[in-house]
Amino acid sequence: MSTPPLPPAAALAPPLWQRLNRREFWVLALLAATVAAVSAKNPGFCQLSNIRNMLVNAAPTTIVACGLTLVIVTGEIDISVGSLMGFLAAVLGATSSSVHMGWPAAYSVVLVLALGMAVGCLNGLLVTLGRVPSIVVTLGMMMALLGVTKLFLSGYDDSIDVSKCAPALRWLDRGAVLSIPAAVCIALAVIAGSAFLVYMLPLGRRIYAVGSNPRAAFLAGLSQQRIKLFVFTLTGLLVGLATLVRVPQLAKVESSIGQGLELLVVTCVVVGGTSISGGKGTLCGSVLAVLLLSSIGSVLLFLRLSESATYWEQAIQGAFILAAVLADHLARRRHGQEEGA
Amino acid sequence: MTVPPGDTATRSRRCHGILAVRGLLDFPYWHELVLVMLLAALMLWARWQAPDFVTWETQLDLSTHIWELALMCLPMTLIIITAGIDLSVGSIMALSAVILGTAYLRWDVPIGLAAVLALLTGAAAGALNGVFVAWVRVHPLIVTLATLAAYYGTAVGISHGMPLSNYPESFRLIGGGSLCGLPIAGLLCAAAALFSAVVLSQTAFGQALYAIGHNETAVRFSGISVARIKLLLYTCSGLAAGLSALLFVGRRNTANTDIGTGISLDVITAVVLGGTSIFGGRGRILGTLLGIALIHETREFVSWHWSKAELNLIVIGALLIVSVLLNSLLSARRRLREY
Repeated sequence: MSTPPLPPAAALAPPLWQRLNRREFWVLALLAATVAAVSAKNPGFCQLSNIRNMLVNAAPTTIVACGLTLVIVTGEIDISVGSLMGFLAAVLGATSSSVHMGWPAAYSVVLVLALGMAVGCLNGLLVTLGRVPSIVVTLGMMMALLGVTKLFLSGYDDSIDVSKCAPALRWLDRGAVLSIPAAVCIALAVIAGSAFLVYMLPLGRRIYAVGSNPRAAFLAGLSQQRIKLFVFTLTGLLVGLATLVRVPQLAKVESSIGQGLELLVVTCVVVGGTSISGGKGTLCGSVLAVLLLSSIGSVLLFLRLSESATYWEQAIQGAFILAAVLADHLARRRHGQEEGA
Repeated sequence: MTVPPGDTATRSRRCHGILAVRGLLDFPYWHELVLVMLLAALMLWARWQAPDFVTWETQLDLSTHIWELALMCLPMTLIIITAGIDLSVGSIMALSAVILGTAYLRWDVPIGLAAVLALLTGAAAGALNGVFVAWVRVHPLIVTLATLAAYYGTAVGISHGMPLSNYPESFRLIGGGSLCGLPIAGLLCAAAALFSAVVLSQTAFGQALYAIGHNETAVRFSGISVARIKLLLYTCSGLAAGLSALLFVGRRNTANTDIGTGISLDVITAVVLGGTSIFGGRGRILGTLLGIALIHETREFVSWHWSKAELNLIVIGALLIVSVLLNSLLSARRRLREY
């Protein structure tokens, strides 16, 4: 007796109505509804210049979110990304500024990326070899890096003027490829690269395998340690890249750069449908959630509510997340998957 | 039974090696012992480097702001023992302080009533966290991350980011006053610590918390209402944050939205440094108190001696990682049994 042939791949794909129930769809719908509602009230919202600004502002967050999505998919977390960005920004400013060290832009860029990778790798080593929970490692790293940044910048009167930095860095702010701003180009490249990693390479599947069932992954011969080390190092590298995009947009390098970034990015990844306990989540969801959450500031501005409305921005952001979480819970309960968080 | 990845046979052989080592590793107060030794070493060094630092008066002077942190650490220890976390305590503190200030200064409510209102706000904010964690069953990290932004945002929205200052003398007594030479806030804190320690170690409720941290499903099946316990814990956490806000406002005579910024992470650092496992099921109030003391003394000594506040962050970050790393290496055997 022979085993029945496997059904074709298309038959295994979930039916359309189930795919519509995915988080990405709802985030996209909410984003579309927000854009439509605001531009109905104020057509200026849809102008090319505003959209361009919003995308450029969202670029660094998007880049970091790509890395953090993978970290959270493996069941770990990295809350040191904000402090790391501050530290790398200080290094970038000090080395490339003509007033201080005056290195060529290429050297500073390489140094920043290498330092980012090194810190990410250290996080990864402490988590894998040291067996310290990742939230503890990155919490400690977050404080230590903030201290290092403040100490480092106190040697430069607490701030470094970005306009004195190497002119090549300014291109990252002003420059454009095919009239798409350079920052957006880099973010798109990072998204494409991460998507290639996740969907085309075996490593991508392994990241999900480790996150969804560590025991099964171990029995299948996967090294949990090596894969986690990889995602932490990748996140460090991407934070370096995000710093390169972020710093030229600013006037001054200060220790406050990157503060609160970790909370924003983790929030975006979670709103985008990634499960905090690992094994579930997509890049697409994270990117859409970044666009949604980073547009709130602009939305409030364009709604021209009143002076006091801007004070409520954070409250609205928090309420958004709670609403998303509640909606997700209700949707899951309807499908009888309450226990699978 | 699941086995952690890695060569279990070699590891257990190494761990079971010598009986003396085995007994040593089984000693239940390892972490507390390490903390006491670190604290003693620090104080001896401080005594040698800066004799002025290790005197009763200096220590009392420097301790004014630690009580708020300590008060929030107590419920946080219980929450982390149940494998939960509460990132929103700093924001609840800001919200309570703003409610207190707005009620007293803008709405002309008597100060006693305003204080009660602030405490109720704290408890209600904590209860909302609890409802999401216990009934909606969302991961506590996500819930409190969201409410961290929401409560802080509400505080900013209500106060428009303006500081609210000037409170009556009688109110300022709870934050800055002293009784028989001891700060009132400190006595309050000691009473709360004693209460939580007794509840955690001597009652069935305390045992249930450890059990929830180890295996929540098993606890639910044994007929204990996990949801009710969690709701209570998060409400207590919010209440403690509200009380901390009262102490803070009483001490500084001003309420603004930034009083709680970053304090959640300080609280979690102290609890984790005190030996409470972030995965739940392990931890003690004694450890938490030692963790707070160690962080506090390190911080104060570093600023006292080098007058560089930046060094604090580096030292405490490193201390957190190293202490947990040491604990994880030392307790390899215990973890093996846990699996």
